[in-house]
Amino acid sequence: MKKTQTAIIGAGPAGLAAAIEVAKAGGKVTLIDENGRPGGQLFKQIHKFFGSREHRAGTRGFNIGQQLLKETEDLGVEVLLDSPVYGLFPDNIISYLHQGKEQGLQAEKIIIATGATENPLAFPGITLPGVMGAGAAQTMINVNRVLPGKKILMIGSGNVGLIVSYQLMQAGAEVVALIEGAPQIGGYGVHAAKIRRAGVPIYVSHTVKKVIGSNEVEGAEIVALDNKWQMIPGTEQVLDVDTVCIAVGLTPLTELAWMMGCEFTFVPTLGGHVPKHNRDMQTTLSDVYIAGDISGVEEASTAMEEGRLAGIACSESLGLYSPEKAAELKRDVWNRMDTLRTGSFGEKRRDAKESLIKQSIGGLA
Amino acid sequence: MNKKADVLVIGGGVIGTSIAYYLAKQKKKVILVERYDHAAGASGSCDQMIIMQSKNPGVHLQYALASAEMYKTLSQELDYDIGYHKEGGMILIETSEEMEVMEDFVARQKEIGLQVEILTRKEAAKHQRGLAEHLVGATYSPQDAHIDPMKLNLGFAYAAKKLGVEILLNTEVTGIIQQGNKVTGVETNQGTILAPLVINAAGAWAPLIGQMVGLELPIKPRRGQIAVSEPVAPYVKGDVLSARYIVAKYNPDILEKSDDRAVQLGVGLALSQTEKGNILIGATREFVGYDLGNTREGIKEVLKNATRLVPGLKKMNFIRVMSGVRPYTPDGLPLVGFVKGLEGFFMAAGHEGDGLALAPVTGKMVADIIEEGKTFMDVSAIDPNRFNL
Repeated sequence: MKKTQTAIIGAGPAGLAAAIEVAKAGGKVTLIDENGRPGGQLFKQIHKFFGSREHRAGTRGFNIGQQLLKETEDLGVEVLLDSPVYGLFPDNIISYLHQGKEQGLQAEKIIIATGATENPLAFPGITLPGVMGAGAAQTMINVNRVLPGKKILMIGSGNVGLIVSYQLMQAGAEVVALIEGAPQIGGYGVHAAKIRRAGVPIYVSHTVKKVIGSNEVEGAEIVALDNKWQMIPGTEQVLDVDTVCIAVGLTPLTELAWMMGCEFTFVPTLGGHVPKHNRDMQTTLSDVYIAGDISGVEEASTAMEEGRLAGIACSESLGLYSPEKAAELKRDVWNRMDTLRTGSFGEKRRDAKESLIKQSIGGLA
Repeated sequence: MNKKADVLVIGGGVIGTSIAYYLAKQKKKVILVERYDHAAGASGSCDQMIIMQSKNPGVHLQYALASAEMYKTLSQELDYDIGYHKEGGMILIETSEEMEVMEDFVARQKEIGLQVEILTRKEAAKHQRGLAEHLVGATYSPQDAHIDPMKLNLGFAYAAKKLGVEILLNTEVTGIIQQGNKVTGVETNQGTILAPLVINAAGAWAPLIGQMVGLELPIKPRRGQIAVSEPVAPYVKGDVLSARYIVAKYNPDILEKSDDRAVQLGVGLALSQTEKGNILIGATREFVGYDLGNTREGIKEVLKNATRLVPGLKKMNFIRVMSGVRPYTPDGLPLVGFVKGLEGFFMAAGHEGDGLALAPVTGKMVADIIEEGKTFMDVSAIDPNRFNL
């Protein structure tokens, strides 16, 4: 079986950042991803990032992706593409498929950076062609340059719903409406203002009652919700749409960590069940680290910082950094991460993260 | 919590819930305690076979045949669809050596009343597609069937509840209360339950309960790893085993000589397809304590073995793996009955891979023995006191 020092599963922002840190420390890294190219969701993020200069604020996501790829290349990181990892087994054995064949890889340390998956929403008509995750629509327009439809209903007003709505308009579609079940908009005001200015009606306290159509989406019936989230009869209206995008949150993609035997905890603010981890992103299994959305759904910028943290801590445990050097590097990352986790959204997540780390640490601190 | 019952059953799997159901039919006040949930142990991590052909010709097969009779009407009786399908089954034979063993096995099974015959490879291929060229034949019995194990478990539990059984989930037995040589109840993490009769139906975990009363039960956890395919159109007809499985089960010494890793892991074919179309591909038989994990090597050997015998499976994707521990006993038979010298303690565990096949008959026999002191079958072979406890 093939062997490596550090295996990183998932070549999105967290995985790439982790790979760079371990390689910079002089470690041998194998980065595995199921997609044909690395970068995760970065290459569909054509918008500029928030944050300060160190966070490459003002840089567009796909540019950050290109920079990270170049760094991994320069540092000689081994990248296995088209290689979905389907199992983690005792003794740090990773099982993955490549060109139709099962392959094994054994690593001293494993960093799981598998990201998150879009939440579904159940309603009559959900299986009609034309109903899709907002992330899928974003991939179609920004990566494959295909417009999924001309008249869109967006469900969910978190940042994904808001940003993808705007990008669909940029790509030439009309966003007929954006609906939100909660009584207020979920994402940043600045994103919401952008699509409002463009004339998109945002209906809060509304949900989709059904999607209409025989072979594909021909319309959608929306309905108002009362303060107990129950549909109010008589408030139905039918929208003329050919595409329905669902953006109702993300759930950490944790199967591999479960399979490995990591202990979990349930944190709704972070998207559900997440592996317990300490300030080094180390799980309850000493050889297994996590980074990015798997450790709690946040943003690409925090994912990259968590990837760096995991990479540094992993290098330290491999003896590539002295404890002093590692402490200094980790401190820098934590300082940047704390600035990212500010504002009403960031603070909520920071508090959730802090309590998660506190309850996870136990003997690890 | 302080509770009282006539009978306390430990274990909420197919065996425990079956016993609770049949006891409740006898108007006993029964409490069943389960550490986690129904189907949390072997009952939720097994295949789905009620296979007669794999049973040793003798009492073992007789119990299984009695159970098979009960299965025919069990959905109706429980008023719950347990997913019973009788589609027959076959055991694939690879070598002339195996053929000899199976010919003898089949002849003795026939004497006991099982409808079973030996098929040539050509005849076998008419029953099941995708078979390997190298097979020398197969046995076939129309009496093999399968059920949905989780539905069976829930079916017994719901029916038991309707008859007044109190089922306490998330309730772990932490100690057995004794007065001298007499068992009078159990301590649990939820409180005390008093009962003059305690039944140990904890499956592979039964020895841990046994230790609480100083018994050395000869039950050992034996892990079975199973792979699950994507749902496909009907492909596997009934249950398909390999003769090697039978040989592994009853003649372990034949296999000990082997240096083949698959053989060492106890890999034997066990194939069946669920109602939804997923093919269950089993299994290993390993002694690794209570390790419930899967290993890459185990799954690989299971799949290699399955595709070697049924190459048609190669074109399917497998999507999931699972594993569970079965309660192994040295002679392949369960321990069912009162334990001598310990009044009020009753054993009902150690069914290894036969839990599904034997669940109804076990429940019935246990209820009979407790109510009337006897049952409709000879139970001396499964008397727990045959071992030095």
